[in-house]
Amino acid sequence: MNIDAIKDLAYKMADDQLIIGHRHSEWIGLGPLLEEDIAFASKAQDKVGQSLAFYKLLEALGGQDPDTLAFGRTAAGFHNAIFAELPNGEFDFSIIRHFLFDTAEFIRFEMLAASAYQGFSNLGKKFKGEVQYHILHANEWLQQLGNSDDKTIARMQNTLDYALPYALGVFEPSKWEEALLAEGIFAGERELQARWEERVHAALKQTGLTLPSLTTVEPVYGGRYGQHSEHLQPLLDEMGEVINSEPGAEW
Amino acid sequence: MIALLDPRLKRLSLQKDDLPAKENLDQLPTYEVFVQVKEPRPFKHEGCVHASTPTMALVFAKEQYSRRGTCSGIWVVATKDIMVTGYSDNATDIYGRFTETANCQGDEYSIFHMVKRGTQHSFAGVVKAASPQAALACAGKTLPRKKPVLNVWLTKTANILKTTEEDKAMWATTPEKLFREAIDYKTQEKIKAFKENH
Repeated sequence: MNIDAIKDLAYKMADDQLIIGHRHSEWIGLGPLLEEDIAFASKAQDKVGQSLAFYKLLEALGGQDPDTLAFGRTAAGFHNAIFAELPNGEFDFSIIRHFLFDTAEFIRFEMLAASAYQGFSNLGKKFKGEVQYHILHANEWLQQLGNSDDKTIARMQNTLDYALPYALGVFEPSKWEEALLAEGIFAGERELQARWEERVHAALKQTGLTLPSLTTVEPVYGGRYGQHSEHLQPLLDEMGEVINSEPGAEW
Repeated sequence: MIALLDPRLKRLSLQKDDLPAKENLDQLPTYEVFVQVKEPRPFKHEGCVHASTPTMALVFAKEQYSRRGTCSGIWVVATKDIMVTGYSDNATDIYGRFTETANCQGDEYSIFHMVKRGTQHSFAGVVKAASPQAALACAGKTLPRKKPVLNVWLTKTANILKTTEEDKAMWATTPEKLFREAIDYKTQEKIKAFKENH
């Protein structure tokens, strides 16, 4: 099988989970209610746990150990979508991102479960249940806020419109799209986006929000191949602050 | 009226004659959460969550009460929808107090028993009845119990929101999340080793 293509997809997924997981963890102590605080903290742990599984897979394919991969790279070496690294902002943005991002994640895991590469199909099956909870959480908030008063709906709509270009950036074309498809490793970003649009549309239809025509939205690409926003490096600095204070220390 | 000079007495608002209503707390309503650790064990009360809707209560309950170990299902019921009997003395079955003749027809009620003080209520079974009182009488007559029941909670089964068969996938990896267990970090061992080497 095409190992470079496999690595490319594994890096994407690992970095997506690590970075969004870190953002989720930033809600600890700040959530709108204690229960929500704990829910975000748990999802953060899930995401980081998922990233570890993909880093281990990369290590088995000849890469560095997971800690070095997670904490030893600068922004230019990361493959996460820019969407994941954007600051949490206020709760509306966090919920909209969580909904748009995790809907894509859920489908990606579903597609991975059907992979001809066993390393992927195992992880896809393993983590689908975790992400199932994440989208349950996201959808419930979306339904609540998207069906409340006019002020809230207008605010959510604004945030949705702001988030969409970044959300489409998640599906940035892969250099290995053809190889992944040809070998049955992954059904591809285009297919993923098509399924995502269907689900997002169906969920939004049950709210007061409207999904603009996506053909008019210019996707924000670059993250998949190291072109990040100014927000990633400060996040990495913070995340690696302790480990980098004494590299090689035993934990 | 003599002016109060002591600020502590002023804060007590002793001079007010009107009777304002008690202010609402700035909180969402509560839902009671029942967790099934493993099939076929009974659903057991774990605690409550604040939430705006039953579904949101389920979403929150999943992380509040099933973050560690195994779980095969969660039920949530609005606190206001649960009816509670008094407590019997230890070793006395509470059902002895309900003498109403049992007419076991009507809506389905779910019954939860507490059999030991300091423990929480467990699901004991369902009965059909036309009223909560009748449900108690029917439960007393029909539900098997090995120990005297000290306290009963009951609610119409329709009030309970339950996770589905499909939802079980959400807990598939929970037992593997050892990072949530303090013991997994082996802190004591590490501190001991550090002290020995320094």
